[in-house]
Amino acid sequence: MDLGRDILDQQVIDRKCELMGKVDGIVLELPQGKPPRVARLVIGGGTAARRIHPGFADWLVRWRRRWGPKDDEPLEVPWSRVLKIGIDVKVDLDAERTSALAWEHWVREHIIGRIPGA
Amino acid sequence: MAHREVRFEDLLGKTVRNQYGRAVGRIEDARIEPEGEDYLVKEFLIGPRERLPRLLAFLGQLPTFRAGGLGRKSQVRPIPWHWLDLSDPARPVLSPPSAPT
Amino acid sequence: MSKLLEIALGLVTGIGGFLEAGSLATSAQAGAAFGFQLIWAIVLGTICIAFLVEMAGRLAAVSKHTLPDAMRERFGVRFFTVPLVAVVLVSFLVLASEIGGVSLALQLATGIRFQWWAPVVAVAVWLLLWAHNFSLVEKGVSLLGLVTLVFIVGAFKLHTPLNEIGTHLLPSLPHQDGARYWFTAVSIIGASVSPYLFYFYSAGAIEDHWDESYLGVNRLTAGLGMGFGGSIAVAVLACAAMVFHSRGIQIDRYEQIPLLLAEPLGHWGFILFVASLGIACLGAALEIALQIAYLIAQGFGWKWGENLKPRDAARFSLIYTVMVFLAGLVIFTGIDPLKLTIFSMALTALSLPVTVVPLLILMNDPLYLGDNGNHWIANAAVLFISLLACIVAIVAIPLQLMGGS
Repeated sequence: MDLGRDILDQQVIDRKCELMGKVDGIVLELPQGKPPRVARLVIGGGTAARRIHPGFADWLVRWRRRWGPKDDEPLEVPWSRVLKIGIDVKVDLDAERTSALAWEHWVREHIIGRIPGA
Repeated sequence: MAHREVRFEDLLGKTVRNQYGRAVGRIEDARIEPEGEDYLVKEFLIGPRERLPRLLAFLGQLPTFRAGGLGRKSQVRPIPWHWLDLSDPARPVLSPPSAPT
Repeated sequence: MSKLLEIALGLVTGIGGFLEAGSLATSAQAGAAFGFQLIWAIVLGTICIAFLVEMAGRLAAVSKHTLPDAMRERFGVRFFTVPLVAVVLVSFLVLASEIGGVSLALQLATGIRFQWWAPVVAVAVWLLLWAHNFSLVEKGVSLLGLVTLVFIVGAFKLHTPLNEIGTHLLPSLPHQDGARYWFTAVSIIGASVSPYLFYFYSAGAIEDHWDESYLGVNRLTAGLGMGFGGSIAVAVLACAAMVFHSRGIQIDRYEQIPLLLAEPLGHWGFILFVASLGIACLGAALEIALQIAYLIAQGFGWKWGENLKPRDAARFSLIYTVMVFLAGLVIFTGIDPLKLTIFSMALTALSLPVTVVPLLILMNDPLYLGDNGNHWIANAAVLFISLLACIVAIVAIPLQLMGGS
């Protein structure tokens, strides 16, 4: 398996197959004298923006501080929680309880939910 | 025990130099393999650094361009994980163990 | 649903959905200004879009990924922003053109200027999406869209010489007005090969849980649907050629355009023209708004779905809401919808390689398509037409802008 080709930027789904975001980053552990170990997957929180352009990410961070959910941190999923890697990456979590859907909930409460018929 | 950590996406695209400081390639990907509960990096995939071979490799993904001579097959090579010195993740150094000193 | 029913539905959607502001405006302009000469551009554009739609369907059926999802996965987020931004920008302009088209239809029907209709149309489009039963809406609008077949009736009633159509299936050089000829040709191709068509199609294929057993359905739907749709565009061009070009009349005012059908079919022709314009543009507006939301949501892994309650796909719903609102605003400013449409089509042609090359690379990647990768003819045809359209657009657009439209 290749990290970039098969894991990075893949769709992430939770244990109920709900869409959670994309694998925006991967944390590698570098133990001395041993091969690097895949430690955690990183989802959201401006991680993708940083890859696009650091300047854009900084601008986005300022914007996110003024608006949006307070719990906006990137979600770090330990590798042990990864259930399956195939068409998507399935993780053993409940998406609703994580910060991955923080913005989704915020938009729902503050904007979409306020419009009748939602 | 807290090990050093590095972001894989920060490694992507970084120029790899040899001990003499000469740029020898660019990190394109990393190959991982399971070992027990963990997945470990077995190899790093290093590709050409210059723009033109990379552009030709990109175009070469399309058979039409390859047929028209406007694309080359990718020149990405795997190197074993311990050949890459990541003490400074922003500046990976290629140091094969059998290199002359 | 049985496969036969799916094919029939796909055909209806393809036929009824092909004509929209862009193909109507560009085909009518081409017919009025150049007679039957530019039919080849419609043919090239239709061939290209038929291939692309089939590819998008095949990608979804085999890899179980939508196009934006696969593009981000395959190329990484950084590269993905390039087609993302290009397609969102171009699609937004086309969305505004479609809202302009419906507004224009209402102006023709009521006499009230199109810009006052823009907010009404925007709200109507939004409500139809907000009702989160797009499958139903789509079927309804597609069926209604069959009214556009009236152009074929009109073309026959005008005694369109079929040999003229035959002669001009192949490209020819302009006799005069070269810059305008190539600009019109390029905008016709841009109108036919709108990215929203195949992006939307790939999302639909995933929503309908297509798998490899649908590859035949996919091919039929794409080929026949786009083929029939293209022939309606040819009919529009033919009507314009017979009504305007043969008399040397230029189209100066909106009120002249319904003559395309009013001439052969009298008062009913006028009514059916207005209905065709309104319904075709409405259908397209709905699809484009959804498609922009799909593109962004699928690219970033957010929840999406045309039948989901807005609160269950909040960011997705926010995107189409904002897009429809902004597009309505553009038309409300009073900008000429016809000019906006033609210009958006030319811009679409210009941006084609950016949109098409990543898709082609995906279609040739065994990781996604397995044994179902592209045939070399499909690759070559799409690539050739896209690059050609882009290059001609690079030359023709500035010339047209300088020469004044």
